[in-house]
Amino acid sequence: MAGLTIDELTRIKETYKDPSQGDTKYNVILCGGSGCRAKGSLKIKAAIEKQLEDKGNGSLISIHLTGCNGFCAQGPVMKVYPGGILYQSFKEQDVSAIVEEHFLNNRPVEKLLYKDNKDPKGKTTIASTQDIPFYKLQHQRVLKNRGFIDPDDINDYIGRDGYMALVKAVTLMEPHDILRSVKDSGLRGRGGGGFPTGMKWEIASKASGPKTDRWPVTQKFLICNAGPISRSIVEIDPHLIIEGMVIAARAMGATQGYIYVREPDNLFIVNRLNTTLKKARECGFIGENILNTGFDFDNALSMGAGTFICGEETAMLNSMEGKRGYPTSKPPYPATKGLWGYPTAVDNAETFANVPQIILHDPAWFRQLGTEDSPGTKIFTLTGEVNTNGLIEVDMGITFRSIVFDIGGGMKKKKTFKALSIGGSTGGFIPESLLDIRASYADVVNAGTIMGSGNLVVMDNNSCMVHTAMYAMEFATGESCGKCVPCRIGTKVMYDKLISITEGSGVMKDVETLHDLAAEVKRTSLCGFGQTNPLAVLTTIKYFTDEYESHIKDKWCKAGRCKKLCTFYIDQSVCTGCTSCARKCPQNAIAGEKKKPHEVDQALCVKCRSCYETCTFGAVKIGPRNMFESQEIKP
Amino acid sequence: MEGKILIVDDDRIIVESCKRVLQSSGVDITVTTSSVVAVDLIANNEYDVVITDIMMPEIDGFELIKKIKEVRPATGIVVITGYPNQQNIQDALQLGIIDYLPKPFTPNVLTDIVSKALDVAKKLKPFIPEPSVEIESKAKSEELKSIIDKYKNTPGSLITVLAQAQGVIGYLPPSVQRLIAKGLRVPVSEVHSVVSFYPYFTMKIRGKHNIKVCVGAACYAKRSNEILNRLKETLEFNDDHVTQDRLFSYEEVRCLGACGYAAVVEIDNDTHGAVEPEGVSTLLKQYN
Repeated sequence: MAGLTIDELTRIKETYKDPSQGDTKYNVILCGGSGCRAKGSLKIKAAIEKQLEDKGNGSLISIHLTGCNGFCAQGPVMKVYPGGILYQSFKEQDVSAIVEEHFLNNRPVEKLLYKDNKDPKGKTTIASTQDIPFYKLQHQRVLKNRGFIDPDDINDYIGRDGYMALVKAVTLMEPHDILRSVKDSGLRGRGGGGFPTGMKWEIASKASGPKTDRWPVTQKFLICNAGPISRSIVEIDPHLIIEGMVIAARAMGATQGYIYVREPDNLFIVNRLNTTLKKARECGFIGENILNTGFDFDNALSMGAGTFICGEETAMLNSMEGKRGYPTSKPPYPATKGLWGYPTAVDNAETFANVPQIILHDPAWFRQLGTEDSPGTKIFTLTGEVNTNGLIEVDMGITFRSIVFDIGGGMKKKKTFKALSIGGSTGGFIPESLLDIRASYADVVNAGTIMGSGNLVVMDNNSCMVHTAMYAMEFATGESCGKCVPCRIGTKVMYDKLISITEGSGVMKDVETLHDLAAEVKRTSLCGFGQTNPLAVLTTIKYFTDEYESHIKDKWCKAGRCKKLCTFYIDQSVCTGCTSCARKCPQNAIAGEKKKPHEVDQALCVKCRSCYETCTFGAVKIGPRNMFESQEIKP
Repeated sequence: MEGKILIVDDDRIIVESCKRVLQSSGVDITVTTSSVVAVDLIANNEYDVVITDIMMPEIDGFELIKKIKEVRPATGIVVITGYPNQQNIQDALQLGIIDYLPKPFTPNVLTDIVSKALDVAKKLKPFIPEPSVEIESKAKSEELKSIIDKYKNTPGSLITVLAQAQGVIGYLPPSVQRLIAKGLRVPVSEVHSVVSFYPYFTMKIRGKHNIKVCVGAACYAKRSNEILNRLKETLEFNDDHVTQDRLFSYEEVRCLGACGYAAVVEIDNDTHGAVEPEGVSTLLKQYN
């Protein structure tokens, strides 16, 4: 296939028009990511077009549908230029107001704008996209195309400097130049471990493989691990990953790349990657003789079959060879002896997505953001009890407090912060006192957790940390591959101990045992999974000892999550007798006359928490187990 | 004990004494001395267990068993026999009975066998419409063969082949695993070790709609365990996580990689984000 020449590429770039600066009076950018689609963005597009058509103003606006915007919690998200006015959380019914007011009379519809969380009355609105705290504090480099391009359209990508880094890397730079740039930039693997990327590629470029019939000794592989966060990048800007991979391949001399997708039935991702690869191949960005430079690099999808452990690089390589996904000991590192014994660089999609900008600009530019130790930006998924959930890209070195309270818009109504889970399912938890640590590899590890997949979960006072640790261990027992004894049996024993604590039969010695076991599992496990899953136990013991104590000594789960260690009762002095709890109770366990204090029948209560969550006066309280057995019930 | 039992014997003394013994144990008992009446009863009622004599006038026990298997294949059958010779028992066993009661029997033996039969019958229930493995794979063996032929010379293609085979057949029973092992020239044990390792592969038939509930950290924080409980309450799953009518099956998955949309539930190929436990039943309605 002929592919594109550099001239043609430049032409595409020049003819590209930024969707926010179109010819029509209003240029509308509507999010078509899966979150917003689920909330009806396609219907909204049709409704707007139809209503304007009916009014004879069909050419007044142009609507550009893009990939995920990241502001998923607030979906559907629609930006109107000029002005970048952002409409969020609106429905099809609201379309007529927007058409009538904004498009025909140039008055933004106040009630559909973003509400400022900082305003206690919730009345102040912020119209412009840039001023919304969620966007304001982010530095979108990797995700610079988010909300502007259609991920399936390669021309959109090229128009926004896409594949320009590739052109530069294959035509103007030698492999060692690329290696030096990446090394100078200080880019570290975004997959969790934080190994310097340039160094990994350099090792792989110098290594050589065994002599077999299948491949020459110079064969090298490049693998993109399209794990958790990568899914979002694939969804938003898939060509960015391909471009990064080609540059990496050129640097280390790889001729075959694979994108490993763990869940083969995730058709959305698989289809998008297939379309992307096909397009890139047609345009000559992958395949033989890339851009007529004589450089060959092909890229293909490789399917896993589930399991969390296959995110670990050696387990993933085994899985790609058609074997059980067991990790193997390192060294030898995959960079010297990887897939089928050949040097293999395994990197996360986010790492690859960082590469084009380093090449396009220069290492010093990359280092402008972030810290000395962890330069650049990092993508996080922010979920939990904060006002704004979604995908964010921030400078390394930003404090977690700023992420939670500024970007995340603070805690949801009436919730107080308790803990932040960093690192995903195998990470640890930090308390509020540590929120001021910076989001850098060093600080996160010092706090006892890991950067991991970059998953942040904000937990409020209603979560019980012992219960959460138990859950983490359940996860670990389920996902441990079973190869190493410490991880296989250690997690099970920790899980059992935590169950006994949450059920009220724990003793203080258990906490000590848990701590020792966790430390030992961490120390003696072979792979990242075994080394990180005990962090949940270690950090909860370290930062939330009081909760373990109250579970064991007082038999009291103050959050009311451990059903055997709590009693829901109504504080007679506070209860106003509004009956809302009695109406919510699925067991009819709450009795009382209107305007008189109610009471919970402990024999009927199933501890579903619905009364606790319903009461607006704080009259429903959580007491220790058997609080009514040892003392008389107050009249 | 709990369950619905029919006792058929031409000897009135036997049926009445059985009734008296079992009545106190809380089971719902119907008795008849006529096998013709029994056929009617079975056609109109769903019994968990039928206890029947072999030697009866009009319709004999064997005939009755065959009839039961036709109309109510999930009913457990226990045979009462006064002549427990090898041949008789063998014949009855071949027809798929659960157990037999040699006459005369003590009340203890009767209660024991009935309670065991009820347990077995309960397990029989969900498996009524399961199509036979051999027929399934025979019909699709051509497709399977072409998959194997395509990959047999590519090392490391086991997972790809298994995934495609599962796509064709729906699951990977031992017969399919053997076929693949032979085709790819790898030991059956290796195929089985791979199939049993990855959660994507299943050795049991899934429901028409497969529901995946993510229980990763982010989804857990968004109450995915409550979603799971709600799901189990709404639909009655058996031990294999499949509903009685095989319409739904569920599995827990650990991180679908869409933490931003927590809690995530995947039904067939649709990803549903921000699912609330309260919304489970509405979600399921789309798939009925």
